Amino acid sequence: MPEAAKRSDDVPGTAPNLVRPAVVNDDAVQTALAQHMSRISGSRTEIKCFGRKSSGFSWITYAFAARSALGGDRKLILRVGPPSGLFAPYSVLPQVHALQALAGSGVPVPALVSSAQDGAEIGLPFFICEHIEGDVPAPWAASEIDPDHKRAIARQFIEILASLHRIDPSATPFASLQQGGERAEVSAIAGWRASLARPTARYYPLLDWGGRWLHDNCPQPPCRTIVHGDYRIGNFIEHRGRIAAILDWELTHLGDPHEDLAWAMMPTFNARSRKLYGVLERAEVIDLYQRASGIAVSDRSLAFYEAYALYQAAAIQMCAVRAFEVDRFNDMRLAVMASQMPSIVRAFERALEAAA
Amino acid sequence: MSVSFERLIDGVIDALQSHVVPNSNDDFVRGQVFSAIYALNGLKLAADWKAGPLLEQVRLQDDTFAAVRRLADGMIHPEIPTTPRVQGDTSDATAIEALRNDGDRQLGQLLLWASGEDARAADRDAATEIERLLRRAICDQLKIELATTPKSMLQQIAGGEREGSAAQG
Repeated sequence: MPEAAKRSDDVPGTAPNLVRPAVVNDDAVQTALAQHMSRISGSRTEIKCFGRKSSGFSWITYAFAARSALGGDRKLILRVGPPSGLFAPYSVLPQVHALQALAGSGVPVPALVSSAQDGAEIGLPFFICEHIEGDVPAPWAASEIDPDHKRAIARQFIEILASLHRIDPSATPFASLQQGGERAEVSAIAGWRASLARPTARYYPLLDWGGRWLHDNCPQPPCRTIVHGDYRIGNFIEHRGRIAAILDWELTHLGDPHEDLAWAMMPTFNARSRKLYGVLERAEVIDLYQRASGIAVSDRSLAFYEAYALYQAAAIQMCAVRAFEVDRFNDMRLAVMASQMPSIVRAFERALEAAA
Repeated sequence: MSVSFERLIDGVIDALQSHVVPNSNDDFVRGQVFSAIYALNGLKLAADWKAGPLLEQVRLQDDTFAAVRRLADGMIHPEIPTTPRVQGDTSDATAIEALRNDGDRQLGQLLLWASGEDARAADRDAATEIERLLRRAICDQLKIELATTPKSMLQQIAGGEREGSAAQG
């Protein structure tokens, strides 16, 4: 049983001075992390094998080992919300709520160790969780992995999604995410529309018009569930034929379960295949999901959320453009994401035609 | 491209200076990188996005505005610019890009209007035809951009992989 996760302000000790750095300096993060780990463990802790992992587009991920006088090395992961990242300003709350609420459930997640929205010693929102052994499959291209192995993983992937959607959100901290009187799924659309309305280098007429259509035609959900928000191949760790952890809960919210299903089946995340992980037919995915979740899938709602998935993908690309162009966040990967906009917007227009 | 030319060049230079140079111990490689940075600084002073594809988009927008003006005759509609907006040969890419961006905003306003209640109430058939025309024209405009977009390298970009051939333009 992992030790209970600690919020920084739960732990007595010298309150850190909260000065938010303008850029993320890895050496400074490592020094601050040692102070933080020492404070929450009550024992002097050294940080070993500290290194940035390159994969994320949003939160900055570091792997490290915490070595304290009380015990041996403990392999951990630190995730920091950069001041001008893709979805800045960052909140740790969705991820913290997810890791806390889902511990011990049918949805495998890394154990939460510590978190601080105010930044504590590090000065930026962060959380620390346990390191999980395994591999993260690449969603972008066809791989050499055995198709039978992929089928087994794809089936687990859908069964875990069904487990997530079976959880009653009212009994979890997610209930506090619901704000105001608007339907949660409509609020999510409104959030992306507001994001696209921010000043950026480009205005896309089809996104403006399509965003209004989505807002006005959002279907009633069969039930309101916890929605992962970025449930796709590439956002889990696989170890010895089992999915060991579902990752990246930053877009988690309450909404329509069709949203996760549509997002997972986007060809972009399945090496451009219409099959999940390149192996599981759409009908098989739907059948498996319905049986495992007890939620009836509506063709109309799924078509709506397939269009919404492309709208959201476009909005995320524009967040990347904004982070690079307006907020001067120096990551060239964000700049080149913009080159995908014409194809995404055209696909969105076709998906809207199918959903209307 | 949705980012500005100058910012893109600045970003490439920063990536080379901050991430490539400090991680290269080979003098020849460092010489190559500094040469590339020098060349990029030169491009920043002397180059811009190609004017041709931008001009093609502006002309397509102008054709669309003219067609919408005809179909919307007698209806109360958002402002439609007088066309053609570009006279003769123009090569100022920044000015053409600004015209293209203004045109996109005006097309967006017309599309929202044509698919809205007021236009439908005034003339349902005309509004439907205008909506279809605008959607088709905006997609055609995106095709022009796609023609100048290199093949995706998302796998290599996201994973930083060495393997795999570089995508061709």
